[in-house]
Amino acid sequence: MSKLTLAIPSKGRLMEQTTDMFARAGLVVRKVGHVRGYRGEIDGLPEIDVAYVSSGEIAAALKAGSVHLGITGEDLIREGISDAATRIRFLQKLGFGFADVIVAVPACWVDVATVKDLEEIALPFRRLHGRWPRVATKYVNLTRRFFAANGFGDYRIVESAGATEGAPAAGTAELIVDITTTGETLRANGLKILDDGVILRSQANLCASNAAQWTPELEKICDELTAKLSASVPEKSA
Amino acid sequence: MAAETAQNLEALASQAQTMMSVFTKAGYDAVAPSIIQPADVFLDVIGESLRARTYVFSDQDGAELCLRPDITVPTCRLHLERHADPATPARYCYNGPAFRYQPQGATASHPREFRQAGIERFGDKSREVAEAETVAIVLKAIEKVGLKDWTLRLGDLGLFSSVLDAAGVSPNWKKRLDDAFLKPLSFRDALKGFASGARVASPGIPEELLASISRDDREKSEAAVAVYLEENAIELIGTRSLSDITEHLIVIAEDRQEKPLDARAIELIARYVAVSGPATTAGDKIAALLKGAANGAGMALETYDRRLALLSNAGIDLDRVTFSAEFGRTLAYYSGLVFEVNAASLDAKSPVANGGRYDGLMRAAGAAVDVPAVGAAIHSERLLATTVKRAP
Repeated sequence: MSKLTLAIPSKGRLMEQTTDMFARAGLVVRKVGHVRGYRGEIDGLPEIDVAYVSSGEIAAALKAGSVHLGITGEDLIREGISDAATRIRFLQKLGFGFADVIVAVPACWVDVATVKDLEEIALPFRRLHGRWPRVATKYVNLTRRFFAANGFGDYRIVESAGATEGAPAAGTAELIVDITTTGETLRANGLKILDDGVILRSQANLCASNAAQWTPELEKICDELTAKLSASVPEKSA
Repeated sequence: MAAETAQNLEALASQAQTMMSVFTKAGYDAVAPSIIQPADVFLDVIGESLRARTYVFSDQDGAELCLRPDITVPTCRLHLERHADPATPARYCYNGPAFRYQPQGATASHPREFRQAGIERFGDKSREVAEAETVAIVLKAIEKVGLKDWTLRLGDLGLFSSVLDAAGVSPNWKKRLDDAFLKPLSFRDALKGFASGARVASPGIPEELLASISRDDREKSEAAVAVYLEENAIELIGTRSLSDITEHLIVIAEDRQEKPLDARAIELIARYVAVSGPATTAGDKIAALLKGAANGAGMALETYDRRLALLSNAGIDLDRVTFSAEFGRTLAYYSGLVFEVNAASLDAKSPVANGGRYDGLMRAAGAAVDVPAVGAAIHSERLLATTVKRAP
């Protein structure tokens, strides 16, 4: 019988929190073979193959259907899969990895509190500086979709791999789209979130790929795992 | 693409040669700008929506490049390389490939790779004369290769400004409507907002600031913003200056004081935007609309009539010309006249040529100032399709 493949984050805070959550559900995840290897299994659930995958690539694996299940942030899913609603089933919110994807502008822009205000300054900005305001982000797709839904198109994206919050002060962008949990880093960099600038309230999710090969047996194992995990998720997040 | 057969290639080359000789004889300098262009300029001019229609890619050094989606911007860049003073008068013509991603899939009338022949003129002092000459020479080139049954469609983004003057719209709202005109959705919102009266500022904008600033005392207003930032321990960072921020706050504060735009002005604006039809009749419609305008017809009608007279003097049969007030609103970089040439045998969404005025483009391409610029491009494959006799 074929096994159910579950992708979980291979390093960092998300990996620790995933392991903790499994532990709370009474499930012990163990690496198979070499300690630095990338395969694992769950005690008592021999039908599940665990694949340790970097969290950024879990969305791609789910999209391609190379894994049945994956645990990763909703932000990465929505960014990496434009038609997530048809390719992915969100089975369970997991109550960790909280992060809001937000639009932030310099706090000194006391004249800009909403996307509409932002839209209003774009043209005067262009007249003065010869270009549209630049948005630094690694969430290129989320940014485009959010602004398009708000009828705002007069900007330009500058892709940013890291330290995005520093871009406005450094003069490489006028505003940013990034994730934040407490807002502390934003404040430290002289930024504020637009009042209607929350694009997505993200947390870690257990997701199923519609592109993977499913059998009734695998569906049953999936249901079993989901039930165990959901029992260990704090009430307010579920 | 259509030109993949040798026969087509030859026909396209001969068509291009005919048109280029019309242009060069009229004093246009033939140029061949690079096909691969920095994506920057295009993104700055057109915005993020460009990516949806253009082949943008990175090279091995990470520089963002694109296959040129048109030849106008590359010609502006070439002009800037040649002339230290961007306002130096110059006329260029070109013929070559351009590339556009077609979201609905490439078709014969909307190929992803096509040839553009065109002209650009920079630095002309007399704008309307340059515009009429541009339209005339494009039609001449098109006729020379055999398309006789063309129609010409005109729009004018500048005319809208004059209509707002005539309607007696306050300077502040005029600027806002002018800006919004290019975005039909915001325009509708703006007009509706002005009809219902004063603006309500976003609650997140500090009330005490809005209350303490005014256009009459800019210096004091700027100081008030500076004090607010200091008291709230907010550092001034980024590209926008204290003056930029204050200016926008003043605009918001002014909007809050505005009286509702009167119903007659709104009616006039809405009816102007709807004007469309034969150019001569459209002129009569605009004249009738402006008869009742608060400030009289003003420049608007004069500009319109003068344009038609210049086109007529250039030998263009006005019976084949239509005008649409809305035309040009969603085209990225035009600033005044816009026009397109349609062929009877092609659908209206596939013009064989289009062009117009784009005085702001040279600045976006790197010049320090706006430069008068007008130009047009001919879609070679479409034009060829109208003149080639199909095999029985």
